[in-house]
Amino acid sequence: MGSRFSGIFWSLLFLAVPVLGVATFAIAPAIDVWLPKDISEHGKAIDGLFYFILGLTGIVFIATEVVLFWFLWKYDAARDNGPAKYIHGSHTLEVVWTIIPAATLLFLAIYQMNTWADVKMRRPAMAPTVEVVARQFEWRLRYPGRDGTLGTADDLFLVNDMHVPVDEDILVQLKSMDVLHSFFIPNLRIKQDAVPGMKIPVWFKATENGQFDIVCAELCGWGHYKMKGRVTVESREDFDRWLESQYAKQEATQPEPDPADAVAQN
Amino acid sequence: MQACSTSSCSPIQAFTACLVALITVASGCSADRVTPPTADAEGAKQLRVTLASAPGAAGAGEAAASTGTGWGTLKGRFVFAGTPGAPKPLVADKDTEVCSKAGMKLLDRSLLVDPSSKGLANVVVFARKASRVKNAVPEIPVVFDQKQCEFLSPVFAARVGQPVDVRNSDPIGHNTNIAGTAFNQLIPAGQGTIYKPESETGMPTMVTCNIHPWMKAYAVFRKDGYVAVTAADGSFSIADLPAGETIELQVWHERSTGPNGALVLDKPDLKWTPKGRFQIKLESDETKDLGTLEVPASAIGT
Amino acid sequence: MTMAYSLRPLWITCSLGCLVVAVGCGTTPAASFRPNMVEATKQRLTPAQEKQVATVLLAMFGTPDDPVALPETGLDEAKLRLAAGPVRSDIVGRKNGLYREHCAHCHGITGDGLGPTAAFLNPYPRDYRPGVFKFKSTERADKPTHADLVRILHNGIAGTSMPSFALLPEAQVEALAEYVKYLSIRGETELSLMRAFFELDDDAQGKLPETREFLVDETLSPIAEKWQAAADARIPVPEMPADIDLVASIAKGKELFYGDKANCVKCHGVTGLGDGQANDYDDWNKAIVEIDKEVKSTAAKAKETSTVSMSADEAAEHRSQLAWLEKFDAVLAGDALTPRTIPPRNLRHGIYRGGRRPLDLYYRIHAGINGAPMPAAKGTISPEDIWHIVNYVRSLPYELDGELGADRPMVARDRF
Repeated sequence: MGSRFSGIFWSLLFLAVPVLGVATFAIAPAIDVWLPKDISEHGKAIDGLFYFILGLTGIVFIATEVVLFWFLWKYDAARDNGPAKYIHGSHTLEVVWTIIPAATLLFLAIYQMNTWADVKMRRPAMAPTVEVVARQFEWRLRYPGRDGTLGTADDLFLVNDMHVPVDEDILVQLKSMDVLHSFFIPNLRIKQDAVPGMKIPVWFKATENGQFDIVCAELCGWGHYKMKGRVTVESREDFDRWLESQYAKQEATQPEPDPADAVAQN
Repeated sequence: MQACSTSSCSPIQAFTACLVALITVASGCSADRVTPPTADAEGAKQLRVTLASAPGAAGAGEAAASTGTGWGTLKGRFVFAGTPGAPKPLVADKDTEVCSKAGMKLLDRSLLVDPSSKGLANVVVFARKASRVKNAVPEIPVVFDQKQCEFLSPVFAARVGQPVDVRNSDPIGHNTNIAGTAFNQLIPAGQGTIYKPESETGMPTMVTCNIHPWMKAYAVFRKDGYVAVTAADGSFSIADLPAGETIELQVWHERSTGPNGALVLDKPDLKWTPKGRFQIKLESDETKDLGTLEVPASAIGT
Repeated sequence: MTMAYSLRPLWITCSLGCLVVAVGCGTTPAASFRPNMVEATKQRLTPAQEKQVATVLLAMFGTPDDPVALPETGLDEAKLRLAAGPVRSDIVGRKNGLYREHCAHCHGITGDGLGPTAAFLNPYPRDYRPGVFKFKSTERADKPTHADLVRILHNGIAGTSMPSFALLPEAQVEALAEYVKYLSIRGETELSLMRAFFELDDDAQGKLPETREFLVDETLSPIAEKWQAAADARIPVPEMPADIDLVASIAKGKELFYGDKANCVKCHGVTGLGDGQANDYDDWNKAIVEIDKEVKSTAAKAKETSTVSMSADEAAEHRSQLAWLEKFDAVLAGDALTPRTIPPRNLRHGIYRGGRRPLDLYYRIHAGINGAPMPAAKGTISPEDIWHIVNYVRSLPYELDGELGADRPMVARDRF
């Protein structure tokens, strides 16, 4: 086994890392292994930040890997017989490669502050649309009911099946009944830990109709993997109609017609 | 941890390695549950064929009822050979103004032995199968009352279809829950309700009150009505049993150590089985007195 | 090229790694139903008798991977196949093994409420084998209707670990409800067979007759018929008058709640917090408590019996009794959960396990809760009065000036 071959082999192996890395990112959207569909208003800003950071780090990554490959290839001991050069450090180099990344990070930190504030700090002044109480292993929902106030006798109680009107500001009041959970709706680009003992506001505006997943993003026990809910975004009329029908079902004083009866009679 | 040199590792390193290995293996082990016998797959296959076949002529069916006319009576008296010990008081911590009125304490009634005659009360004797029944189901209700947070009958018997007058003579409400039946009903103070058992119990079933959980009694319902509960002196009597056939009777006591509460005595002359059953055959108009039936101390649990 | 290091650490690491892997490896045996060990031991069945029961059940009901439903059960075998077996996709891409994916870890492969997670839950998951279900629309002693089971799967049970499966496709929910019925019928049949040994005549030599008449007509059919008759046992619910004066109704309901006809406060407490009593059991736990008491008393008796004056037969019997007691201890340790008392519901939470519709509360009060100490008001309290109590109970979580008043100390669970 010649060490010459060994040198070439390892250099090419390390070259494969940036090549495959870039290739994976390039084909990912085509095979649907990319960001989930964004249907929220602030999603554009968040996704924009993601792409910006991806681009920035990607360029640095590719540059670093190519340089690494180049050094492996050029200075391979089997082919390069020249004596080793020794240096005792370079102050300039150290300063340069500290200042540039620090400046970049500082820039990123300041650049994203506005988006962060929009998503996490600038709460819309409105009453909660729905209270979500995370519980092992489901999402318990409470809508305020006709009087618009949470905590009164006409509240609507549901599990896992959240509906919101489209193109409207939605404020969710997030609580936890037992342990840490995390209220995560990928398509709405919101994620917030539900901390026991705290009432945490979460807000968004959905821009498209459809059904999307709510998943738990904080390990909460053996059922964490299946703690799934569903959010349905629909027009305001549909939402109101759904709310009324659910409320009527909740106030039912007579049993629903049993499908088995219909079959028996036919 | 230093890499070992070409000679053997130090004792400490060897010990640590063994300990880690042991813990790894032990973590996979756990206390085993009892292993049940496995089913016989071949037998199951054949049985499935049998079950799938159309219901043919009924199998051998019941043995032809023994012929016989007339009716007889069975009597006896159970006595307890051991020492019963003082009955334990029950914890009656609710509605104390009624249930622990004037400091009165409710006692456990699972083993009631008459001090003078050593008679064992509340033993249930019933016929397992009788070919014919003399009397129709009576209309007179059996009264099952409760007072001062205690069921007045620790064990009572009724016939299937016979009305049971479940009463509440207390100034507070109770609910009477007959296990194994549909009956679990609120009985307000001073009121009562009629319950008609719809099926046989087999061995006696427990009656409780969910508001006052210490209250306990037993009920036994039989289709043919050939059932008796021993009185305070241990005596019982079952009248109008069909004569001329072998009748198997089951014996039960609340504190028995036998299977399902069956009372097992050592009486080979009555063919007493380990399932607490004995057999008799009566002549017409005969009154058979089994005499004193001694229940050994080992037959009753603590 | 000599190496500057020793290979010994490598050997040690490799062998430890192999050991770790070996501990975890092994072929997994196919899933099988576990017999009802508590009942089998209580009935003092011999191994031959246990084997007969297992064989009969195998013939009548199949295995967890391959269910069989005799026509007398009234079950749809296609639905059972969807729910049974390991999780996989079938030839048309439908998901199979639903029960094992969603239910088995709590309710157990056998539906015995002894799944791996069961011991950590409060309340314990339901044991289907006695055929008793708590939250349904039928009279107390009757089985739930199919719609009742589907409703529980849809809504889950609030306040317990039973989750909502509303997001599953309808066909999967139907399959699961059918499989629950199958496990319940199988469990009740098993209990019936095990108890039948005691009822055998002595000439049967301790073997059950393996005839269609005994197994199907006498044992299986009565159980299955109760399930099929459930729809006829639904509680008739009179309409709550549309123009009902809610305030007056709530006042009347409060009177009944505190009164001695309904006796609600005796268990639910004058505070409505469920602190009226704390020492009763539901049927599943009570069975274990009673058996445990019986075993302990028999054990105490057996221990104090001296073997000195016994004949050979008696000594042998004594030894077999001690062996039975030992087996029972092992069975209670491995096949039963530690019994827990069942506290009466805290009505101030606004969390109702059987559902929060006025209709659901009507069902609970009218028929009580089967398997739980909650008694039936049927026959004692008129339907109109039951509606008044329902209205009062629904107002309890929002009651500001009830018996408690504003100076009641706030307890942790009040916050929800």
